[in-house]
Amino acid sequence: MADLHGLEISARTAAALPDWDDTVAYLASRPLPAVEVLRAADAAARPVVQPRCGVGGHGEMLGLLRELESAGPGILSVTIDSHTRLLRFDTASALLRRRPADLNGYPLVTHGWQRGRELTEAVAVPLEVRHGSPDGRDLFAVALAAGITSYEGGGIGYNLPYSKDVPLAHSLRAWQQVDALCGTLAASGVVVDRELFGTLTAVLVPPSTSLAVAVLEAVAAAREGVRCLSVAYPQGGEPHQDIAALRAVRSLAARYLDPAVEVFPVLHEFMGVFPRTPEYAGLLILQGGLLARLGGAAKVVSKTVQEAYGIPDAAANAAGVRTAALGTSDLLDFVRYDESRVAEEQHWIEREVAELVDPVLADGDLFAAVETAFAEGRLDIPFSASVHARSRVVPRRDRDGAIRYADSGSLPFSRAVLRRNAALLRDPEGARPRSLIDAATADIHYFLDKESRLPLRAPYGANSDTPPRY
Amino acid sequence: MDTLHGRSERLVILGVAESDAHAVANHLIAMQLREHGFTVVNLGVCTPLADFADALDRHPRAEAVLIGSLNGHAHQDLRALPELRAAGRLRRPVVLGGNLSVGSRTTDADLQRLRDLGVDHILPDAGGLVLLLDMLDAAAREPEPQHG
Ligand code: B12
Repeated sequence: MADLHGLEISARTAAALPDWDDTVAYLASRPLPAVEVLRAADAAARPVVQPRCGVGGHGEMLGLLRELESAGPGILSVTIDSHTRLLRFDTASALLRRRPADLNGYPLVTHGWQRGRELTEAVAVPLEVRHGSPDGRDLFAVALAAGITSYEGGGIGYNLPYSKDVPLAHSLRAWQQVDALCGTLAASGVVVDRELFGTLTAVLVPPSTSLAVAVLEAVAAAREGVRCLSVAYPQGGEPHQDIAALRAVRSLAARYLDPAVEVFPVLHEFMGVFPRTPEYAGLLILQGGLLARLGGAAKVVSKTVQEAYGIPDAAANAAGVRTAALGTSDLLDFVRYDESRVAEEQHWIEREVAELVDPVLADGDLFAAVETAFAEGRLDIPFSASVHARSRVVPRRDRDGAIRYADSGSLPFSRAVLRRNAALLRDPEGARPRSLIDAATADIHYFLDKESRLPLRAPYGANSDTPPRY
Repeated sequence: MDTLHGRSERLVILGVAESDAHAVANHLIAMQLREHGFTVVNLGVCTPLADFADALDRHPRAEAVLIGSLNGHAHQDLRALPELRAAGRLRRPVVLGGNLSVGSRTTDADLQRLRDLGVDHILPDAGGLVLLLDMLDAAAREPEPQHG
């Protein structure tokens, strides 16, 4: 173990790093840090677009970033491979030597900070590292040395969806160190944008679950001195609910955070099972751009028409950026929606979030409170990858497609909240009874069903030709 | 680890490959098999192959070992299969499903690479799983062909 101003990292990673002063000077010399892009987008009330992107080989990654830059994104990503995410740096490096194309992302720790700087300098827009590591400390140290000014993750959102058995106490402390180093940097004038992964397990995540986790992580980050937070919410599929959730990011920030912390709402375009035809997938990508603007997001993370099949090629990824940007464009500024319906949704989302987080925040020891709440099911997420959340909550879509709690497990909801969720999910008279699995599967495949009712071309060459069904 | 007890004697081992955290199909497949009466020893996400072998040692009556891989890393994550088999372990049909290579197209060569490791059955989706398990079960009950 080595200590980088409070960030504990492996001796091996530390030995390869430049001097800390060099890192700080390099970060400070970056012409356009992520926070400035976000501020400008916020001021213009039009979100910038960011694709996810990461391939194994360094030359290929440089090429990918350059090609994507021509599509006009505001920020570009360095998406990290699964081995690096899980701290298996040796596996990542063996695979990089043997078959780099077999990596599902860019192994930044293995490539090292010097190559990282080549990525940073290859494009004019800032980069963000997107990963999914319950413990992203080594990766963060390399990312900073590479001049990367935006870093995704948090002690809950990058643990429960991404690993099997990492105790929350461990991931929360690891991310506390990341946040504290951001605080140190902020004090010397370098603002690192910290994005919180409200997307969680991505499939049928109720908005208040996503936002409750984000609020807890945001409070923890702000306490360590983080000055710029991007709060990401995943598009669920019902427009009023999605707009309301994005708006709630700002009201929740005002309620729970020090006003000195800049908070930017971010929309992750639909993160669940994606439509399979290029036409319908493209429409959903366009709609995501529009919803991001209507919800007041500063940034929208785009998808591609190859999402259902595998990691996209550069052309499809660039097309996704352009399509999402069209969704944010003024050609759609005439679009109006039911304001009172959005206001009502927002009211209930905020109320549910408060019922989830207030008891946890009331405890003097935030991390211990978070851990016990998950152990007891007072906080919970659906479809958890980790054994440290119970996954007793069962989400369902209501008749309009909005995501509700069919079973809230042990979440401490008031009678009013429970009544509303139950009422919205009541089956219409005479509806055919379905098993819980059938119902959940249909809700997961929501956009596949909608797509199949339209006269579209058959999906193109694919992993499997028919949409997966149970 | 989470064991869902079914009504019958039938038991399978289920899990997701070592580097892979995709959990949704895993949750649903466990529920689906249980509805069909299986006892499911669900090892969950991020499960090294050696853990599947250990689970089989603990549950020798398991009919098959079911592995999901969605993140494209199936080949790397299953590389220890020949070694484990050579050591006399994981001697049950290994059924693999999911998204089996990096990129938007999985080629025959990608699938062959996996079969070469010793993967016995590859299914594009979980719909055909119970049928496959029934066929494997019937084949296992058939008397060994008599020679000479
Ligand atoms: C939800 C999702 C996520 C969530 C997962 C949350 C969680 N913990 O479960 C989040 C956002 C966290 C996530 C993360 C990542 N994801 Co993801 N994800 C998806 C998505 C959108 C849906 C998957 C899903 O839940 N489907 C619902 C279930 C019911 O269906 P299914 O998983 O496809 O399973 C069916 C079949 O595959 C099969 N099956 C599955 N398992 C098994 C097992 C057996 C035994 C059998 C027989 C069959 C079988 O049957 C099922 C039903 O028919 C898909 C894309 C899509 N399909 O639209 C990408 C996708 C699978 N993800 C992908 C990747 C790469 C990742 C990451 C590695 C990030 C990255 N580099 O981009 C990380 C994972 C990190 C890690 N360590 O593995 C890629 C895989 C690419 C490839 N193979 O080329 C996809 C295809 C997206 C893409 N186009 O890039 N992801």
